[in-house]
Amino acid sequence: MIRRSLCGLLLLALTFVAIGSASERERETDDRGVLLAIAQAPLKTRSWHNPYQGQPDAVLAGKKLFLQHCAECHGPQARGIGRAVNLHLSAVQNATPGELAWFLRNGNLWRGMPAWSGLPEQRRWQLVAYLKSFRR
Amino acid sequence: MPFPESLRSLGPSRSRPNRLPLTYIGLLCLLCASLAGPRAVAAQETPYFVAYSHHLEEPGNLEIELNSIYGVQHAGNDFIAPWVEFEYGAKAWWTTEFYLDWQGTFNDSARFTGFRWENRFRPLRHEHWINPVLYVEYENTTAADKTMIEVVGFDSQADHAVPNSIAQMEHLHELETKLILSSDYQGWNISENFIAEKNLGHDPWEFGYAVGASRPLRLAVTPESCNFCRENFLLGAEVYGGLGTSWNFTQIGTSHYAAPVVAWQLPSGVTFRASPGFGLNSNSHPFILRWSVSYEIDRFAHRVRSLFR
Repeated sequence: MIRRSLCGLLLLALTFVAIGSASERERETDDRGVLLAIAQAPLKTRSWHNPYQGQPDAVLAGKKLFLQHCAECHGPQARGIGRAVNLHLSAVQNATPGELAWFLRNGNLWRGMPAWSGLPEQRRWQLVAYLKSFRR
Repeated sequence: MPFPESLRSLGPSRSRPNRLPLTYIGLLCLLCASLAGPRAVAAQETPYFVAYSHHLEEPGNLEIELNSIYGVQHAGNDFIAPWVEFEYGAKAWWTTEFYLDWQGTFNDSARFTGFRWENRFRPLRHEHWINPVLYVEYENTTAADKTMIEVVGFDSQADHAVPNSIAQMEHLHELETKLILSSDYQGWNISENFIAEKNLGHDPWEFGYAVGASRPLRLAVTPESCNFCRENFLLGAEVYGGLGTSWNFTQIGTSHYAAPVVAWQLPSGVTFRASPGFGLNSNSHPFILRWSVSYEIDRFAHRVRSLFR
């Protein structure tokens, strides 16, 4: 029983590593997909208003959230790691706050961007406030 | 699985189990994780122990979780059943998880009771009012397993009164499936799980359910980094139990539990969870207490690959 379990454990560990390598490779080629995915946001999202717009505290809170959740892929300066998307690009910065909020909630699951619907809506808007502060 | 009454150990006792290696393995895992120097990351956690939400592990991240349950046993010995989870985000739509289970029964013995391999898949691209997740798990355990990660069929506290030396002789190869339905609304997460489990040997399908609701104490975050802010705490409750089998779909003879849950997410990436559970009928353990500590390693696959460059 124990020997069989250990064999199973070893096989699973190898599977994890193989799957992990595959997922890393996929992520490295998906930045165009992420940018295109923002365009999938419904038209109504363009009129959504960020309740934290213009609030410096919200930008700082958004930065804290960014470092906790996003910096691992996009980098601490949000310029991308590997080929994860650079969030300073005009395609991101020209998106409306509503489009960004929609994209954060839905992600782009087939292209490696997780859905952040587990974050309360207020936190997603704080993240958007931080992302939009790059334009200044 | 019914056992003859004559095999059940009688009379609760409170002496320590012989050995609990999991504690040391778990601490070793967490030590290795911290030595690896990962950046602190916080996952989208829900505080549940039994119910699942539609939030999966972020792709490339590995979460190591050390869990334990203490169960008060009627007509038998209380127990502690620890388990280790390795949860990996294989894709944004696929999370795979590996479990190692142990148990220590007071005045009896402590044993390794098997492993599980689970997979969760999100079939839909976007968020909806109700978000489905498909769950498939293979379990290779013995009847001595007391982790109670789910309650199905006619599982009852009497199953856990069987002495370890006898219970470990029954090997279980089981396929467990779940339909997870989960919604987020105004900071609340509400999750409903429908469970169907099949012993690959001979038994009928066993059914169960788990329902959970939770919410952070504060929805927006403060700009400052803090350990004791309300935003770091999640409160909720879950209810779970068995629903009989495909031969006898009923609530009669099944066990049910209600359990408040609390989670504390530290900015360092460590999460603590605790949940006292209360049996809702005579088939249930009168009281169980679950607790866990977890740590998330970001970009795990990238770190492993870099070791071989």
